[in-house]
Amino acid sequence: MATWPMISVMGGDTSHVSCTDEEALRIYQDMVVLRAFDEKTLTLQRQGRVGTFAPSLGQEAAEIASAHALEPMDWIAPSYRDHGALYVHGLPLDQVILFAMGRSGSYAAGVRALPSSIPIATHLLHAVGLAYALRQRAEPQVAMAYFGDGATSEGDFHEALNFAGVWQVPVIFFCQNNGWAISTAVSHQTHSETLAQKAVAYGIEGIRVDGNDALAVYGVVREARERATEGGGPTLIEAVTYRMGPHTTADDPTRYRPSGELEGHRAQDPLIRLGQYLAGRSILSAEDQERMAADSRDRINEAVARVEAMDPVAVEEMFRHVYQVMPNRLARELRDWGAN
Amino acid sequence: MDHERLQGFLYDMLLARAFEERAAQEYTQGHIAGFLHLYPGEEAVAVGSIRAAEPSDYIVSTYREHVHALIRDIEPKKIMAELYGKSTGVSRGMGGSMHLFDKERRFMGGYAIVGETFPIAAGIGYSILYRHLPEVVLCYFGDGAVNQGTFHESLNMAALWKLPVLFICENNHYQIGTEIHRHSAVVDVYKRAASYAIPAEQVDGMDVEQVYAHTHSALDRIRAGGGPYLLEFQTYRYRGHSMADPGAYRPPAEVRAFGGQDPILLATRELARHNPPSKSAQASDPAMDVIQQHIDKGFAAGHWQQEDVATMKAQIQQILDEAVAFAQSSPSLSMDDAVYLANQNHAHEVLF
Repeated sequence: MATWPMISVMGGDTSHVSCTDEEALRIYQDMVVLRAFDEKTLTLQRQGRVGTFAPSLGQEAAEIASAHALEPMDWIAPSYRDHGALYVHGLPLDQVILFAMGRSGSYAAGVRALPSSIPIATHLLHAVGLAYALRQRAEPQVAMAYFGDGATSEGDFHEALNFAGVWQVPVIFFCQNNGWAISTAVSHQTHSETLAQKAVAYGIEGIRVDGNDALAVYGVVREARERATEGGGPTLIEAVTYRMGPHTTADDPTRYRPSGELEGHRAQDPLIRLGQYLAGRSILSAEDQERMAADSRDRINEAVARVEAMDPVAVEEMFRHVYQVMPNRLARELRDWGAN
Repeated sequence: MDHERLQGFLYDMLLARAFEERAAQEYTQGHIAGFLHLYPGEEAVAVGSIRAAEPSDYIVSTYREHVHALIRDIEPKKIMAELYGKSTGVSRGMGGSMHLFDKERRFMGGYAIVGETFPIAAGIGYSILYRHLPEVVLCYFGDGAVNQGTFHESLNMAALWKLPVLFICENNHYQIGTEIHRHSAVVDVYKRAASYAIPAEQVDGMDVEQVYAHTHSALDRIRAGGGPYLLEFQTYRYRGHSMADPGAYRPPAEVRAFGGQDPILLATRELARHNPPSKSAQASDPAMDVIQQHIDKGFAAGHWQQEDVATMKAQIQQILDEAVAFAQSSPSLSMDDAVYLANQNHAHEVLF
């Protein structure tokens, strides 16, 4: 049986598409933005200023580098934790924050991203549909779905990968294996040694990559993208990373995470690793790092101020949003609500 | 393999074939309503696998399950009555063709929805494991079912929890009219098991002896605590998907090619190998093509098997005549029966 080695570029593997220093710097910068965004949003949630929020702490390399490997006209189908990918793919920061804040407004036009999927794995099928459409229209683009390790046990994952395989559509399944599906460890999720090997069942390419190695993530997504646009079919990428924070703001990982596990992963912090790599190439100084962090905080604070100045979503929107033509039952409820 | 077992296989397969052909006849005469999915061509799979199981094992089957029920020794007349929708049927007339169920024989149902058998088998497997019993669930499904999400979710959990489930794929290569390569990039179903770290094999499902042997060793392995296993039996259905499907999408040459491997004929030949016929009979051994024709010709020379098979066929004919008479003379369901039976499930009911 095939083995599934973990690809690591920082570890010395040079056989993959390389990332230029300029691109690596841009990736680093966006990773800094994402970490600052996380910290800010977490604070806002604790103050009751945003709703439930899923932080990306520890997964910045997988999140940001994968999105950098795409082209603007590619489609992404994100899950609830993919603020970083949405931002890199072109969604303005204001809009990213809007999602967690319940302000009126909508996705920026022209960004090829689906709304974040809250249900697990349902959007993998949508990504296959998007890829099918791209192929039908002969557009040289790909669709990429973002999801976690827990999603791989869903029936939707199976159905999506099967159709992608049989139709050979240009789709990339980007799985961030962060070790935990809320409180369920991967070892309690599947008996398979790796998630990448699940690709075998669908006759598609399966890749396992160090998800905390931004350069490796960039390389394998770039390669998967090339393969897909050249008619080589879909790829399942398992980016092995670690969720250093809670599942969401509604979760307390100390209840289930073995003591010491988190500490063991701190040395693998993707931001520190990429920072050290770039410093080693003498293209990132300590001052640069501080300046980037400060700039990111300023930009995010400004975006929050702009969003908070917007009107909150009107309650009526809840009723109007569901059906194109409101059924009588809902219309009655809306009238009753108005009467109060 | 001993003579008695081979003869048993032959009887089982002849019964299976004759039952299904009779059901088709009753259907076309308007005695049976609704759906009817028939098994001719695939007999070796149900016969070989179910005969390898213990009476304490459970069976979960699909909507093409009459033969599984027959081989599980559910009386033919109770199955026929069920097809007729009569109150003497094995499911008291409430199930029909696709929902045969007999808890006494641990026949845990035919299921009409594609992919429905997987989670049910996993659940039964969990209860066996929980009670540390040396039992196994035989879970049947077709090649089309492997793309259902339930397949993925159930096999994942079965492997994770080491459930005693034998997944048996009856790969007849067609999901109604969709040939397997049009719905699966991987056409060897057994390879799917790698994704869950479940051991699996692909076996010739047209050879009843092989089906029996492979099922037997898989069951031993599962019973010894080895966790789930998957067997893919390569087979072929001679008829359309159901009575509503003439199966015209398949090239006639393909159907003939598989007909040449008719499992009943193979078993008959195996019998003949153990008891070699006379020279003249060997000389008249026909070329492979349509089943019934082959069986008739193979025994035309008049060696002892001919009599044997004729006796079997006569017995079976009588059993089926009685089954049909029983079904016809049984009372139909009333509306009151339906209301009564619809309220028969109770909270905390233990089925087995």
